[in-house]
Amino acid sequence: MRFTISREKLQEGLSAVAASIPAKTTLPVLANILLETTERGIRLSGTDLDIAVSTEVAADVETPGAITIPAKKLQEIARELPPSPVKIAAAGEQRVTLECGRSRFKLLGLPKDEFPAFPAVKFEESWRIKSGDLQKLIQHTSFAVSTEESRPILNGVLWELRAERMRMVATNGHRLARMELPISSSGAPAGDLIVPPKALDQIRRLFPAEEELEIARGDNHLGFRSPFTAVYTRLIEGPYPNYEQVIPKDNDKYAIADKGSLTSALKRMSVIASDQTHRIRLSFNAGMLKFSVQTPDLGEAADELPIRYDGDPLDIGFNASYLLEILRYMPTEEVRLTFKAPERAATVEPEGWSDPAKYLALVMPLRLMD
Amino acid sequence: MPRIAVLPPAVADQIAAGEVVERPASVVKELVENALDAGATAVEVTVEEGGRALVRVSDDGSGMGREDAVLALSRHATSKIRHAEELVGVASFGFRGEALPAICSVSHLELETSPEDGAGTRVRASGGALQGVEDAARRRGTTVSVARLFHNTPARQKFLRSARSEWRAISDVLVVMALTRRDVRLSATHDGKSSLALPAAPSLRARLGAIHGARYADGLLDVEDVAGAVHVTGLVERPGDVGTAARRVFLAVNGRAVRDTGLVRAAEAAYRSTIPAGLRPSLFLEVVLPAGELDVNVHPAKAEVRFGDRWAVERAVERAVRRALGTLDSAADVGGRGWFAGGLLNGARPEPAVNPWAEAGRDVGALHLEAGPTVGLFADPDAPAPHDPRAFDGAPHGAPALPWEVAAPAAAPAPPDEEEIAVPPLVQLRRTYMMFERDEGVVLIDQHSAHERVLYERFLGAMARGESPSQRLLFPLTLHLGPAQADAFEANRDALTRLGYEVEPFGGGSLLVHAVPTPHPRFDAERCLRDTLDALTGDRHAAAHARHERLAATVACKAAVKAGDALSPDEMRALFVALARTTLPAHDVHGRATIVHLGWDELERRFGRA
Repeated sequence: MRFTISREKLQEGLSAVAASIPAKTTLPVLANILLETTERGIRLSGTDLDIAVSTEVAADVETPGAITIPAKKLQEIARELPPSPVKIAAAGEQRVTLECGRSRFKLLGLPKDEFPAFPAVKFEESWRIKSGDLQKLIQHTSFAVSTEESRPILNGVLWELRAERMRMVATNGHRLARMELPISSSGAPAGDLIVPPKALDQIRRLFPAEEELEIARGDNHLGFRSPFTAVYTRLIEGPYPNYEQVIPKDNDKYAIADKGSLTSALKRMSVIASDQTHRIRLSFNAGMLKFSVQTPDLGEAADELPIRYDGDPLDIGFNASYLLEILRYMPTEEVRLTFKAPERAATVEPEGWSDPAKYLALVMPLRLMD
Repeated sequence: MPRIAVLPPAVADQIAAGEVVERPASVVKELVENALDAGATAVEVTVEEGGRALVRVSDDGSGMGREDAVLALSRHATSKIRHAEELVGVASFGFRGEALPAICSVSHLELETSPEDGAGTRVRASGGALQGVEDAARRRGTTVSVARLFHNTPARQKFLRSARSEWRAISDVLVVMALTRRDVRLSATHDGKSSLALPAAPSLRARLGAIHGARYADGLLDVEDVAGAVHVTGLVERPGDVGTAARRVFLAVNGRAVRDTGLVRAAEAAYRSTIPAGLRPSLFLEVVLPAGELDVNVHPAKAEVRFGDRWAVERAVERAVRRALGTLDSAADVGGRGWFAGGLLNGARPEPAVNPWAEAGRDVGALHLEAGPTVGLFADPDAPAPHDPRAFDGAPHGAPALPWEVAAPAAAPAPPDEEEIAVPPLVQLRRTYMMFERDEGVVLIDQHSAHERVLYERFLGAMARGESPSQRLLFPLTLHLGPAQADAFEANRDALTRLGYEVEPFGGGSLLVHAVPTPHPRFDAERCLRDTLDALTGDRHAAAHARHERLAATVACKAAVKAGDALSPDEMRALFVALARTTLPAHDVHGRATIVHLGWDELERRFGRA
């Protein structure tokens, strides 16, 4: 194998793949990056066995072939190289030479066949979705996934595909985010996929918003593909909890508040809230929302915010960090909050959003001390 | 002939002797106390055959003139009080005027005394009868020789044990006297062999060192605390050492050695959760309180006292001991002692009140230096966790209820000590220990034990307050329990609710969990509940108090970060601060060490640099 590539193209390819290379691994080849020649240039691939990323960049190929090289070292070298074309050649199975200007490197690689094969997904049965739509769903929901290992299902984002719409839902059991977009018939098979957020991050990062993505699934994997780049991910198995059932339909109290002022007030209260629970109290009264927080051994704080509210007075406790996080992703200036009772789920939605998407976040209250 | 007659004085004295003089050790006690009451600075005790043959006590005290010497042998003759009112707050050891006549009635007694060097008096008596008074040349002081004890009371003599065990009882008495009056030189010989030679000592630690060895004494922790009018000082065993040596208990109230199970229990209660159940610590405690708060005239041998407010005294003792255990100094130690002088917080400690019982020459300064931070960082463990219903209570819906508008008239709780805790750079070792460097060496903290201690105290506080933060769950957890676990759940249901678990029995051993506590971000509520119920299975702790502590300990253990959890620098810092704020940072809830210190001297010794 022998090819010449510009330093920029090499760096571009490496940075796309780098995120999928595990920092620590028991399988040495996973610390390597796979380089293969193609008709258009070279393809770089990396995987941690949960997700795999591969991308193609332009290069002048002299002799076709494939080799794996330690990813971290190759990245460090590429960063330090002078701005000249880089010549890479593999002599035999393991020895790789890299030349650039007057610099010379020899690296020990590992043969290609040690590199794990990519998951078999059936791109012949693929469907297409605009990358921007997918990214919008990911951005507004994936923050809510659980990081606890006790319920692996909740570590993933639920992606519901239906004939006319698609939806993403994420929750950690305390709060939940759901967004829905209408889709014109894309040929997508109706179904539920539970996708690790790490893969979704890569999709947000690697594909331009306007690009059409080709998506296909295998037995237990999902693949996303654009003309140059592909992301594969393992799917999380199992039935996702019945989230529809817990989204309240009968919340009869609602408030409309300015997102910025609400956020500021919550941040002020958070200073005094307990580090563990971030518990604050919200008291809704006609036209006014009162905040208060009381932390044993620390102190107290209170604040007020005029809002639109005409329901019965309501006192409810929340983890302020959950509310703040939700507000951060709300796309509108004003938000609409709905409640039923102090021990029931509250919802947050954008107010006056002229967008085909439907967005809802839900947060469970904290018990108040009284 | 009348059937009732007044007993002759000799018989009455013999009967009284039964109360005061049980065995040779009580003779030694009475005589040494007399010597001390006479202002002796040196007391010599000579014993033969365990005291059966001879007990002789010589002192260099004030001595007596001839008249006094004779009168001293009659009942209720005393120089120590004159009026009944003086019984309140009596400071001398004796005052009843019973000891000498009682002893005299059951032995051959010889009293040699002189108020000044030279002209002295010798009084001899036997079986309570005066046998002769003569001149004797003697230095200032008094010598009382008691020979053939119980020679005229065969019943009592029969119950004497071997010379060896009588001597052991005597030396116990002498040790107690030596600890009580450390300013007095005390020596004792038994059958011609010197067995105790204690020079006047500047401190309790020094005295204990002279008696039990410096190594033992140096391993003890200082206790020093004032609560109201009650001042508690002394030395107690480190939790890590409890059970490794014979248990020794010494308790003095206003300078008088007493037996008081209540105070001992209070001191032991302070060790709760730092030592395994069943072990009992060694204690050397001195309590000082206003004389009016104390009645010593309860017991003929004055081994028991009565307190005006017993509860306050017990609480003061428990608090003082708990504070001593709360210092890092009580941590398990590799290598030498004395590495911890300024505390974690480098001397951020108000000066303790001056010890009112401080005797001349007692090294109070050194004590203070070693006492460690007793206030501030290791805040008052007995201060009830601020239960603060004011802010939210009684604020009806719709009423203007800014918390402090309601609260303002009530005194705000004393602001807790928000002193900045300087956190040293911490390193995690083996994902199990946190390590940092101090001037005196390196300190290792077990992350699980430390977190366990932090959570334990937090949970206990939460249970005391009644409610702890509880996060409602979107998807209730379902737990299927065996019969034993279901019993454990029923037994602890209330306490679990207080901890933040909102649980609904679902029939057939199933539980629906609607809300869970959130003590830290890594908390796995379901697993913690399941493990806790497993651990509590078959638990039959009767007292609710003990059960709460056990539950808190179990939940803390299950909820704490485990060995093997990688901690970020921020998490380590937070844990360090939280640990420093607990009352007993050096011990986890199972009585194991949380903190181990490796001194430079120990390291240098191992590297052969010493």
